[in-house]
Amino acid sequence: MTSTVTAHAGPAADTGRRALGFFASYGTLIVLGAMILGFGIARPVEFLSERNLINVLNQSALLAIVAGGLTYVLVAGQFDLSFANVISFSGILCVGLMERSGLPVPLAIGGALLAAILVGVVNGFLVAYVRIHAIVATLATSTVLLGLNFLYSNGAPITLGEGGFTEIARARPAGIPIPVIAMAAILVILWLVLNRTLLGHHLQATGSNAVAARLAGVEVGRVTLAAFVAVAVCAAICGVLLSSRIGSGMVTAGDGFLLSAFAAAFLGASVIRDGQFHILGTFVGVLIVSIAGNGLAILGAQSYVLYLVQGLVLLAAVALSTTSRRVLGRQRP
Amino acid sequence: MNATELVPPGQRRPTSAATFVEVQALTKTYGAIRALKGVNIAFRRGEVHGLVGANGAGKSTLVRSLAGLEQPDSGSIRIDGVETQIPNPSAATKLGLAFIHQELNLVETFTASQNIMLGSHEGAALAYRRIDGVHPTARTVATMLGIDFRLDRPVARLTVHQKWLVSIARALVHDCRLIAMDEPTASLGAEESARLLKVARDLADHGVAVLFISHRLDEVLELCDRVTAFRDGGVSATMQRPEATRRRLVEAIVGHEAAPSRPASRVANDDRPVVLEVSDVRRGRALTGATLQLREGELLGIAGLVGSGRTELARAIFGADRIDSGTMRLFGRPYAPRSITDGIRHRIGLVSEERRAEALFLDLSVTGNLYVNTWRKHRIRFTPFTSSRRAERQAAEVSQELGVVLRQGGVRQPIGGLSGGNQQKVVIGRWLQTEPAVLLLDEPTRGVDIGARDEIYRRIRSFARAGMSVIVISSEFEELLECDRVVVMSAGATVGELTGASITVKDMLRLCYHWPESGS
Repeated sequence: MTSTVTAHAGPAADTGRRALGFFASYGTLIVLGAMILGFGIARPVEFLSERNLINVLNQSALLAIVAGGLTYVLVAGQFDLSFANVISFSGILCVGLMERSGLPVPLAIGGALLAAILVGVVNGFLVAYVRIHAIVATLATSTVLLGLNFLYSNGAPITLGEGGFTEIARARPAGIPIPVIAMAAILVILWLVLNRTLLGHHLQATGSNAVAARLAGVEVGRVTLAAFVAVAVCAAICGVLLSSRIGSGMVTAGDGFLLSAFAAAFLGASVIRDGQFHILGTFVGVLIVSIAGNGLAILGAQSYVLYLVQGLVLLAAVALSTTSRRVLGRQRP
Repeated sequence: MNATELVPPGQRRPTSAATFVEVQALTKTYGAIRALKGVNIAFRRGEVHGLVGANGAGKSTLVRSLAGLEQPDSGSIRIDGVETQIPNPSAATKLGLAFIHQELNLVETFTASQNIMLGSHEGAALAYRRIDGVHPTARTVATMLGIDFRLDRPVARLTVHQKWLVSIARALVHDCRLIAMDEPTASLGAEESARLLKVARDLADHGVAVLFISHRLDEVLELCDRVTAFRDGGVSATMQRPEATRRRLVEAIVGHEAAPSRPASRVANDDRPVVLEVSDVRRGRALTGATLQLREGELLGIAGLVGSGRTELARAIFGADRIDSGTMRLFGRPYAPRSITDGIRHRIGLVSEERRAEALFLDLSVTGNLYVNTWRKHRIRFTPFTSSRRAERQAAEVSQELGVVLRQGGVRQPIGGLSGGNQQKVVIGRWLQTEPAVLLLDEPTRGVDIGARDEIYRRIRSFARAGMSVIVISSEFEELLECDRVVVMSAGATVGELTGASITVKDMLRLCYHWPESGS
């Protein structure tokens, strides 16, 4: 649709622009399709088996949950570096409340979620009302959380005894792992709230132009705070599921999610809507990251290959969408 | 100033009042608007040359052409008798032309000295530069300008007047032979203005050609050796110092022929209830006593030049800025908005002057832009969710009513793809959705093509007919002829009011320039 803007360009230039626009919008999806096709042809038996596909989704689930939350902060035009430590924090807290304080599972999970909401409120307050730059504010709270994690766990993993908690990540009602069900439910909720509620509309407006949003009567501060709460809650859900899966709460549990979640969200921003963050795009980004990991592992590649591929794909996708945005954007009247 | 020996590096000695820049038959057209219609003007060394004229008369387009920011369609610019092209701002700098605008381009965290030396290519890029202390060249130039404040302090701590001096000093370091100052005294007090005028005079005495652009005719008359008045994209008069008087200047700016008044749609609203009453509202230096009344169903214009406080008044009414003193009443009750939300709750709407920066969500759809503050209308009953289908259907209807021309993609396309006029219609539509009692429109036709302009005014008129009270702010005074009544603002205060047949462009300008005499 962007290509129709050019009225007077020559046919060759027009074709070029149209192609650029097409790749900018669908390039990431093409990459995803090509990856599935490629791995499917290379290892049809292992990769395309139903078991492996469910496995891929299960591996994607936790990343998708936290990346979905992160998308809210990015849509609001902000940034969050603290969610990785929120993941670790909520895992440690949840397991600790059960093991050390003897709380029943639901209460422990509730405690972890409440703590995460508090972190989100603090982050949002610092950014929206104290007006500290989001990167600095969340870096600081992230470091404070790291300290709390060490304080509470003494630096050693808190391991679970016997109990129903580890079943949460392992149970498969109707053959589908609970993390996958949680992922689907959370992504649907996140999508609905972002696209079909007042809060979501105001979030998008704030991220698009905060000054204009304020002048239109949007409570920019409250909306920004809500976005930080959203990512913290998603991180806590991710952390609880993670500690259930690995059977313990660890200080370093969430570290791996920091870069992958950003990679997924930024990859997702180049899906269909060039340069805008959205839930569906983030999910595609998560799939690319997970399928690349899964497929390369099946091919027997070493872990450095995965990092190389992940980094280069991210660069290519973002470069393509920003370039096209600039080139096509210039044509606008 | 005992600075006769302190001529800045590379500065040419004054030769005589020789012509430095000569502009001949310069024209520039933007779409259907002829911004410059064959302008002839010459700037001489050692002379302060005042440029006066209403907004849009052509003086800023001329200056922008000299600065390399605009390319004229035809005509020539000669510098020292040589025909010259000025393709970009750095070419202008190389030619010795310096331009200082109201938004001074200073790096706030750098010291005055660093700012003065910024961009001068003395020494290699990686040569060691001291960041403390004061560069000798900066010191020399500062002495010449009579700068008495410390140059090793960050510019952020300087006053506006001092920042202007820093900008002028930078221009001198760049070996400039012509300095254009655009409204240098607009935000200065009387004493600071006087000091800046003295600096301008000193520069001319040192052989620099000075262009002084100002709405303050007193200063122009006091300072300038020669004054050129612009009207409708052309030079309407050029006068030497002795023959320039306030009266002649105002006549040259305003013109003799009375612009045709358009009373057809004008309505007298004297018998209708007062909706909004503003009494002696003040805020800092920007608002120094604004008083007006707005009646139900009235279309009220506010005329004013740049810096007259019209935007500030609109923002104060809307609740975007607090006021220092004065009172407002809305429907007879005291009204003191605490916030924008509060203003909107009182059914006030503001279409901002800066459409891109303050109103548009460029990557949101037409629907998203239209309903940004009224999504609750589309909530599905008993759920927290909004119906996008319903919103889009109604957005399409509203767009049609407002005459928004949607291209491919309908109401789902990002608003960034629409033309300025269509974008503006959507922004106006946004505020109509809030059903305002008072709608403030600040420069509603800026960046809007002529066809859409008429249409926008037709619609504004129809809102007023339907009982809405509308305030239109514009520096295109012709547009204000549509209004039932026009209040004129100058230097932050309301200075006069025009009603009925007395609403003419000439009278608006006269009031802006404090020239109360009527008749020509």
